[in-house]
Amino acid sequence: MLRGLGARLARHGSCALTGIIAHLRLLPPPRTAPGAGLLCAGAALSRGKPKSAIINCKNRCAKYCPSYIPLPSSWAVSIPFFHVVFTGKNEYDLLVIGGGSGGLACAKEAAQFGRKVAVLDYVEPSPQGTAWGLGGTCVNVGCIPKKLMHQAALLGSSLKDAQHYGWSISQPVHHTWSVMAQSVQNYVKSLNWGHRVQLQEKKVKYFNIKGSFSDPHTVRGLTKAGKEVSCYNIVIATGGRPKYPVHVAGALEYGITSDDLFWLKESPGKTLIVGASYVSLECAGFLTGIGLDTTVMMRSIPLRGFDQQMASLVTEHMESYGTKFLKRCFPTKVEKLKSNRLQVTWKNADLGTEETDSFNTVMWAVGRAPDTKTLNLEAAGVKTNSETGKIIVDASEATSVPHIYAIGDITEGRPELTPTAIAAGKLLAQRLFSQSSELMDYDNVPTTVFTPLEYGCVGLSEEAAVQRHGSDNIEVYHAYYKPLEFTVAERDATQCYIKMVCLREREQRILGLHFIGPNAGEVIQGFALGIKCGATYPQMMKTVGIHPTCAEEVTKLHITKRSGLDATVTGC
Amino acid sequence: MGWEEVQVRGYPEFVRTAQSYHGRAIFALFCGDKDAEGRSWCPDCVTAEPIVRKELHNLPDESVFIYCLVGDRAYWKDPNNEFRKNLKLTGVPTLLKYGTPQKLVEEECFKGELVRMLFTED
Repeated sequence: MLRGLGARLARHGSCALTGIIAHLRLLPPPRTAPGAGLLCAGAALSRGKPKSAIINCKNRCAKYCPSYIPLPSSWAVSIPFFHVVFTGKNEYDLLVIGGGSGGLACAKEAAQFGRKVAVLDYVEPSPQGTAWGLGGTCVNVGCIPKKLMHQAALLGSSLKDAQHYGWSISQPVHHTWSVMAQSVQNYVKSLNWGHRVQLQEKKVKYFNIKGSFSDPHTVRGLTKAGKEVSCYNIVIATGGRPKYPVHVAGALEYGITSDDLFWLKESPGKTLIVGASYVSLECAGFLTGIGLDTTVMMRSIPLRGFDQQMASLVTEHMESYGTKFLKRCFPTKVEKLKSNRLQVTWKNADLGTEETDSFNTVMWAVGRAPDTKTLNLEAAGVKTNSETGKIIVDASEATSVPHIYAIGDITEGRPELTPTAIAAGKLLAQRLFSQSSELMDYDNVPTTVFTPLEYGCVGLSEEAAVQRHGSDNIEVYHAYYKPLEFTVAERDATQCYIKMVCLREREQRILGLHFIGPNAGEVIQGFALGIKCGATYPQMMKTVGIHPTCAEEVTKLHITKRSGLDATVTGC
Repeated sequence: MGWEEVQVRGYPEFVRTAQSYHGRAIFALFCGDKDAEGRSWCPDCVTAEPIVRKELHNLPDESVFIYCLVGDRAYWKDPNNEFRKNLKLTGVPTLLKYGTPQKLVEEECFKGELVRMLFTED
């Protein structure tokens, strides 16, 4: 029977029922199918067979086979150990909407398993007209350009320190924005190209078009041709875009966002950044570092969601570093002056006064909104959180519609970070196409805020630990330390601080670690492994420090907040 | 008007030629020198050249294709040669779009689809 079937398939590439050219693929039996091997009892080639048998087989295929496309013309034949499914032409095993950190990782992983994958990526230009290539927020208007510009600013500080170490550098040192911007922008463009080459090499089909759902399994490209792609498994990974404030006149016409900042060809000059997020503080930090007059306007607390004691230390350092802060203030309008400068009017909530000042650039960093406008999620039936607009997903990144998934910044309740999006994307591809059942673990995700004095953390903030366990059940070890490099350079280390939050009982598991200092990201990365493995305070104390470093101070923490003792580290 | 090809040898001639076409899209293929029989000392260049030439018809109108012989093997191996220092070339063959970060290096040049992508995409 097998040979006959093979011969028949080889002779007639088309579906016996409708004549549609069929795409034949042999797939391994899905894990969850009942009884290994033979899948559909009684199913057979359709011609001459009862419709009911075909429908039963189709229903079971739809339930168990990840690649099954429910077309009217498709029919299934069971061969021991293989399940043969005919699908229509131009179908993909996976369609990924969004070519950013999560989308590309998911697509490339799926392609590794020999699947037909397509990626749609499209960048709607910002209101100021900025657009960019493949790679998503991280590559183009996020992590990458941010860290490079942060480095540019740090180098400025190093140049100032250098004199103390014997270098003759004429002061004051001068920074040219356009030189930095061009280098950064060129590097980003090389990453865009690198992603293009990678997709091509991994045989992932790439369309530079905006996708919109017509139904749960059809996505239409919003181009003149309106090309439609049908696919059973769809991953939405369109991320987010910066929000503009709604009630501030002139906000849209005259303000920019992080989308534009990194692509400016000319220096932003005297800048006002409105917002208290890490986007605001990081950008304000490097603008100050390269010598620009920079002001941050905050309505309430800095770095909401982060440990607030650490957040205060971060902003304190920025103030001593030269960034101006307008605390408890919110803007009411932005107007353009004849000189082309922008006049901003704001209310001071504490003093009840109204103030104004003029700037060359006003940047909004008041939050990011999920990019779902043109997706037409209603047509797919995908549910979103009514408040945030983000897509609701379960632990397996599945949305409210079977076989539509979502990963990355667009998902509700997930960290807005590149590594989590990438990991979630890879694991999703493995679950879909490679017999894996591993879910993404979102616990103890380390992160770092790249302000001039960096803040790295992993695990719970002190507030969250208190809320979860009660202040009597936690012990907070802390220390103020001075990086060795700061001493000769006569740098102020007042805000260099480490805090470790542990459980008080039994093995004293470490719940959270917080570090402010140079290279905080590099410091915290290693400790994140320890936290993941359930490291305890005694284990940390048994860990020998590397000398002389800042990180070793973590292994030496012994003063508790509870003791009230002075937590300043004394010499070695 | 379609695209045109120019053949040059050595760094100074390459730079002069590229500058003379300033304002147009310039694509360049860098290969090792060829001997009297027309064979390059660089085996990868021998493989890549016909593949690249096969895709030349995809070049955009008004663009220029510069075929550049870099020098002999000894010159190329010198880590301070001008191509390495100034154009940041790391290997031959290299196919690049001049003035952009878009390039294909060594085995990447063997893939017709990648060459086509370099010629046709922004």
